[in-house]
Amino acid sequence: MLVSVLNGFAIGFLLFILAVGLSIVFGMMDVLNLAHGALFLAGAYLGAAFAGSWGGFLAALGIAAVGGLAAGAVLSLMTEPLRKRSHLDQALLTLGVAFVVAELLVIVFGDDPLSVAAPPALNGSVSVFGATYPAYRLVLIGVGAALAVAVYLVVERTLVGALVRATVADREMVATLGIDNRRVRAAVFAVGSLLATTAGVLGGPIYGARPGLDATVLILALVVVVIGGLGSVRGALVGALIIGQVDTLGRVLLPEFASFILFAALALVLVLRPQGLFGGPKSVGAR
Amino acid sequence: MFHEERPEMAEHPMITRRRLLGLFGAAAALPVLSACGSSVGGSGSGPAAGGDRTVKVGLVVPQSGVYAALGTDMQRGWELWLADNGGTFGDYTVETVIADEGETPQTGVPAVQKVLQSDGVDVVVGLVNSATALGVRDLLTESKKLLIVTNAGAEAVTSTSRTPYIWRSSFTNGQIAAAMGAHLAQSGFSEGVYAIAPDYAAGTEVITAFTKAFETGGGRVVGQAKTPFGTTSDYQPFLTGIQGSGARATFCFYSGSEAINFVKQYGQFGLASTIPLYGSGFLTEGNVLPQQGDASLGVQTTLHYTDQLDNPANRAFVGAYTAKHGEAPSCFSVQTWDAANVLNRALGSATALDGDALAAALGGVGTIEDSPRGPWTFENQTPRQNIYLRKVENSGGTLVNSVVEDLGPQSQPAA
Repeated sequence: MLVSVLNGFAIGFLLFILAVGLSIVFGMMDVLNLAHGALFLAGAYLGAAFAGSWGGFLAALGIAAVGGLAAGAVLSLMTEPLRKRSHLDQALLTLGVAFVVAELLVIVFGDDPLSVAAPPALNGSVSVFGATYPAYRLVLIGVGAALAVAVYLVVERTLVGALVRATVADREMVATLGIDNRRVRAAVFAVGSLLATTAGVLGGPIYGARPGLDATVLILALVVVVIGGLGSVRGALVGALIIGQVDTLGRVLLPEFASFILFAALALVLVLRPQGLFGGPKSVGAR
Repeated sequence: MFHEERPEMAEHPMITRRRLLGLFGAAAALPVLSACGSSVGGSGSGPAAGGDRTVKVGLVVPQSGVYAALGTDMQRGWELWLADNGGTFGDYTVETVIADEGETPQTGVPAVQKVLQSDGVDVVVGLVNSATALGVRDLLTESKKLLIVTNAGAEAVTSTSRTPYIWRSSFTNGQIAAAMGAHLAQSGFSEGVYAIAPDYAAGTEVITAFTKAFETGGGRVVGQAKTPFGTTSDYQPFLTGIQGSGARATFCFYSGSEAINFVKQYGQFGLASTIPLYGSGFLTEGNVLPQQGDASLGVQTTLHYTDQLDNPANRAFVGAYTAKHGEAPSCFSVQTWDAANVLNRALGSATALDGDALAAALGGVGTIEDSPRGPWTFENQTPRQNIYLRKVENSGGTLVNSVVEDLGPQSQPAA
């Protein structure tokens, strides 16, 4: 039981890294980026390509970070002309990008599912609470927690974070202060995408890399964002940790409902608090 | 390697992407269809009176989507048989038309319709997806053409939905699982086995057949779980359930990426050393095996084939296949190789190329003695064949499914 709680944290922190980018981009820029899952998958394939050594793992992280920044900047440019259009138009555009990226990945890496080895020394298992647990997932909990704190502090306690939150709250007002909010948007999009590709590399040893994984994780991320509330770092964290526990502890306690339990949690939140746990009509930054 | 259909994809939200692609595909195919209809219509049906005779075969296998690798194996099996036999079935020259089955019935059924109606084929061979195999039943019945299913393992294809026009050269899901159920009941695990499979039609068939055979043999299933199909990547919650159930062994049914994750995590969470893992053969068949790596060592599975089988037909088959493609064949290659094999025999005695004549001829082909999988016969239009107990071993640096035991000939389990 305890080991399931622990595993829920591992999955939860991974989901947080994945979902926080989607949440900020949606909450702040009002752009629904359906290519977010494809970015995760690109990271996972990078991990698969370089797996096997610490050097390879860190190289994959580095390439994923740079690639994610670039991809985010490109996506920001592409969605800029659609800024005044409906969410549906943005969704169609980013969905198209997701298709193209997914097909490119199949062309490059083939359509067989790949497994990704954790870096050496983390590839084994350790004993936790009397149960055997993969060492990599333990480390992932630490890395995820550190990233969560870092993102929270940046958004909440720095000038850049204040700018981001201000842009969420009132774009025009920020513009009147002489700040080009397109740059803020591009930067946020780039960092959000970086987090997605990084999550892909980090998630590789757990999820592997395969065609279709992009859609699976995109749905998980959307569920996290809906539960946590749009544009809220704290919401994304709490939402991700809740989903992590629901997805592991819930399945241990109620295995016969494994297929529905995730969406039951989503439905519950939608009924009781449609704007999400930490969301609101005036969702601002890391409230 | 993947196994089999995934009909539940249709209910999953991710289908939006697939359905969109499917729509584009359908739109793109329309002009092609009409073009084919006008240019090819009327050709290649029926034995010509005298002169050279041609039989036109529609090979409908996945060339895109997650089963594309299976389609490749199947096409290679088909072409290898033809290459070894001069491209003929007896007096008939074989003309093969290949169509893409795709992933789902939304693409598979139109592909069968296309080869039947536009290309005017005499026989259809192929189909990975069980939902597609069930979905083309009326098409074949109306056109009175023969279909040989070379994968789709749903029981219904040759039981409740049986039609004289659809035969099968592969297996049934329950046939493979039941063999393992009977084996485990006699192997000291009768006190308790945990059964786990994805939550979809084939997974249910497998668990049902396994449980029935295992309990008939005096075994007790101490727990079972059905994991969300196609979306489960982390099996930790279910593995904890297995550990807490007191099971002496685990029986599972996974394929593709699910097989990779399940087998790896089974080792990572420490179950492999205490609760031995058994499964249907697709768990360790084909391309998933090298991805599972050492985690798969010692896993035992049942299947109607392994490239390690020691018989003259298989040695020749594996040799020719490996020489040509640089990798060992899979059960999917053999199933399609055998489709050509039985069609050849049927055409030796068939009076015509329509479905009724070919079905009658297939009914009289008797035992297929020269198959790489060992001898088998048609029983209710699906193979009665030997099922092998296999174990993953490291053979000179390559992971292989070695034969542990021949479990003897098995029929499709009674419903």
